[in-house]
Amino acid sequence: MVKKYIAYSLDEALDILASKDVYIVAGGSDMMVQKKNTAGLLPKFDKDVLYVSHIDELKKVYEDKDGIHIGAGAHLSDLENNKLVPELLRKCISEVASVNIRHFATLAGNIANASPAGDTIVIDVLLDAEVVLVSKKGIRKVKAEDFVLGVRKIDRHQDELIKELIFPVHKFDKELWHKVGSRKADSISKLSFAGVYSLLGDKVKEFRCAFGSVAIKVMRSHELEKEIEGMSLSELNAQKDELIEKYSHVIAPIDDQRSNKEYRQKVAMNILAKFLDEIIKGGK
Amino acid sequence: MSKYPTSVKKVDFPEKISGKAKYADDFVFPDMQYAKTVRSTIPCGKIKKITVPKLPDGYYWISAKDIVKENVVNIIFSDWPVFADGRVNYCGEAIGIFVGEDKAILDKLCEEIKVEYEPETPIYDFSEAYISKGYKKGDYEAAKKKAKQVVRRTYQTGYQEQAYIEPQGLVLYYDESGKMTITGSMQCPFYVKRAVMRTLGLKDDEVRVIQPAVGGAFGGKEHYPSLIGAQLATASYKIHKPIKMVFERYEDIAYSTKRHPSKTEMEALIDENKNIIGIKSKVSLNGGAYKGCSGVVLSRALIAATNAYVIPNLDISGDVYRTNTVPTAAFRGFGSPQTIFAMEMFIHHIAKEIGVDPLELRMKYLAKQGDITANSGKFHDPIVLDKLFEKAMEMSDYKRKIAEYSKPGSLRGIGMSCFLHGCGFTGSGESDIIHAKVKVSKDENDHVTCYASSVDMGQGCRTTLKHIVAKNLGLPDDEVEMDYPDTDKTPDSGPTAASRTIIIVGFLMEKAAKNLKKIWKKGVAQEIIEPYVGPSYIHWDEETMQGDAYPSYSWGVNVVEVEFSPVTFEITLKGVWSVYDVGRVVDERIAVGQADGGVLQGIGYGFMENETCVDGKFKQRSLSDYIIPTTMDVPHMETAFIDNPFIYGADGAKGMGELTLVGGAPAVALAIENAIGKEIHKIPATPEYIMEVLKDGKN
Repeated sequence: MVKKYIAYSLDEALDILASKDVYIVAGGSDMMVQKKNTAGLLPKFDKDVLYVSHIDELKKVYEDKDGIHIGAGAHLSDLENNKLVPELLRKCISEVASVNIRHFATLAGNIANASPAGDTIVIDVLLDAEVVLVSKKGIRKVKAEDFVLGVRKIDRHQDELIKELIFPVHKFDKELWHKVGSRKADSISKLSFAGVYSLLGDKVKEFRCAFGSVAIKVMRSHELEKEIEGMSLSELNAQKDELIEKYSHVIAPIDDQRSNKEYRQKVAMNILAKFLDEIIKGGK
Repeated sequence: MSKYPTSVKKVDFPEKISGKAKYADDFVFPDMQYAKTVRSTIPCGKIKKITVPKLPDGYYWISAKDIVKENVVNIIFSDWPVFADGRVNYCGEAIGIFVGEDKAILDKLCEEIKVEYEPETPIYDFSEAYISKGYKKGDYEAAKKKAKQVVRRTYQTGYQEQAYIEPQGLVLYYDESGKMTITGSMQCPFYVKRAVMRTLGLKDDEVRVIQPAVGGAFGGKEHYPSLIGAQLATASYKIHKPIKMVFERYEDIAYSTKRHPSKTEMEALIDENKNIIGIKSKVSLNGGAYKGCSGVVLSRALIAATNAYVIPNLDISGDVYRTNTVPTAAFRGFGSPQTIFAMEMFIHHIAKEIGVDPLELRMKYLAKQGDITANSGKFHDPIVLDKLFEKAMEMSDYKRKIAEYSKPGSLRGIGMSCFLHGCGFTGSGESDIIHAKVKVSKDENDHVTCYASSVDMGQGCRTTLKHIVAKNLGLPDDEVEMDYPDTDKTPDSGPTAASRTIIIVGFLMEKAAKNLKKIWKKGVAQEIIEPYVGPSYIHWDEETMQGDAYPSYSWGVNVVEVEFSPVTFEITLKGVWSVYDVGRVVDERIAVGQADGGVLQGIGYGFMENETCVDGKFKQRSLSDYIIPTTMDVPHMETAFIDNPFIYGADGAKGMGELTLVGGAPAVALAIENAIGKEIHKIPATPEYIMEVLKDGKN
């Protein structure tokens, strides 16, 4: 028989996690869909469940020397309106699902689900966020990029709970979030793109971009980013097509019920091309 | 003054806002059992063996062997079995149902049952026609000899899912007298009643159907509830307990009927003066595994083949094809959205190919009163399409925009459709087949009640029908009652379909109320039963498809403006302007509700709603994958009505439910075409399709 626990403090949650293999439910906006059952029957949980949505310690959002801490229990709609939260993340959140889902979904839940179509993961990865995991044994920090291992696979040990995500405080000249869904709201991404850059004179000082929904996990190429960083804008212009060609191999989209691989491939590269054009123009 | 001066408060507002309205799943009876369907997992083949798991006490397996009288669902063409008998013809076909009190046990039984098949090769393409129809006008072959130019195009349309809020579901129970009674989500209570009578061999007084609140239908609950009703009734014969079956959303999307996908091959004959002297159209519809009502859908598709245009020589034909897929059936528009899409695109493409202005070409062939219809009948009533056009042009600023957006580099596009919709059943069907009746009665306290089998599925007919009666009796609306249909109390005023409720049932209500007023005696119980008598000048031959196809027509013009993204190929709606002639509007707020919802459902059909079938299975099985527009997708919308009263309609009203859908798809498709500068031949024109068109499409 499946047992269900509601923890009211972090300690209480960690005690349960230390002794049991459980599903952790924060907002439940994706978990409850995964475990959906025939209407009128209890959700289909095949092991114990720990509800963490009542733990106040997990709802904190604050800034310190390490960066912006976003508690695992903070709802997306709270983050959407919190000026401390990086603007790019807020922009992304404003397009996640629907208003009512954002009222209970969480940032930690989105990355813990590790769906290839999870929108906020793209920003977590792009901004080098760290996932902070706690257990009775202590604290472990994992880069968001390494935390997601594959489709619905994450680097979390059975006794660990995501406490928060930490975003480094860092200003870029320009930031872009572009979600391609199938309609204007309440939509699951066909693909998504996030990019940031800063210029120094006519040189690219910093460049990052990440793609969502076009591979088993969010894709980012540190190699290509390094290649671009340091380029002059005219070099970037000259090498644009070549870079796009290289980036086209970074992603590996598929056909599914929402779109097809040709579309995802083409549009992802179109958005990248437009982003690169903006950088190139930005220097003039 | 109210924004909608002719509007009254909708009678269902309080019960729906308070949550008190009872839908199928809200009914609970003592000792109620649930039913769950075991479905075919293959598209086509023989059933070799069914191994039913050991049933716990009080659990039943009901299948073809339990059929009491006839294993068919009573639809227009009754070829669909209640339970598969020996073979299956589509993925999801019902093999049987498990019945018992615990849903979890039913789910387990559905997992444990073993069905062994001998699979056969399924058909998915247009290769096996099982219904064929056609008609001619003038002499197409002779005209072809005279033609200087021939224009040809082929158009395709996809599936469309009704996406009503409330899924399919019925509850069977026994009323206070012990009579088998069915309630639940349906459009046509008498259809369900007749289906149950036929499958069980029951007499008219042995089954009762009561319709509760219905959460949307759009045609999807015209015939499908007959299948569920027949299944539950078969089970009840053995079990004698109340039984409820309500579909899960995935089950509803994956296995209930949808709009027919189509292919329309068109050919136009052009003479030396750039006149269209003939049109040939060959329509193919995917009917799925069973015919059901597809023959009538094909009729409507063919009658609408040249839409609102009058062309002298026609050769119109069409077929419905058997495929091993979920049967297709009724959906708002009933065949005409497919062919009207094709014709609206075609006239535009003809204009471009012969080098004339599309708007001028359209205007040249628009129907006028007295013109001969495609089926060689007559447009008897006044037609005010010119006024509709004038108003639509003015509201949307169409002429300026089309000139501006047609310039190279513009990412905006504007498209326009004009269209007609035949109201009521085909030809003289209302007088000859349906024989609709309504009842208006009063008791000793002079309290008036009106009765009709028309189902209020959200469109508001309980409000409007009652309002028609109140108005004609000179009473306030709240002094007239109209309850939900109950086949034991309500005369059969026909199905809630074919845009017939206001034009036919409303007309009867008006006559009944007027007749009651004539004989009104204070303090005496009185009643009027009013049978339908249609216009005597309507004659129709179903066999040859010649004559007056419908008692009357409603008309409309839609204009849609879009913006196109060359980066993502996405389309954003920027404006929708609509003008309709629905005779006379009974209740403006309800009419605008129908109009805005209808045009949006049509636009969604045109560019967004995508249901694909792969190996006999639908890929989109949830409302997060089957995409319909949200309010965030809706742009500025303006709707106007032009008064053109019809003498056989309630206070001049004609039909409007379906009319408002049929023009949305061509208008948005033409707007997209205008924005991207390439021809659109297929809907839904999704970003994926637009990407393909931009790569290899025709300019």
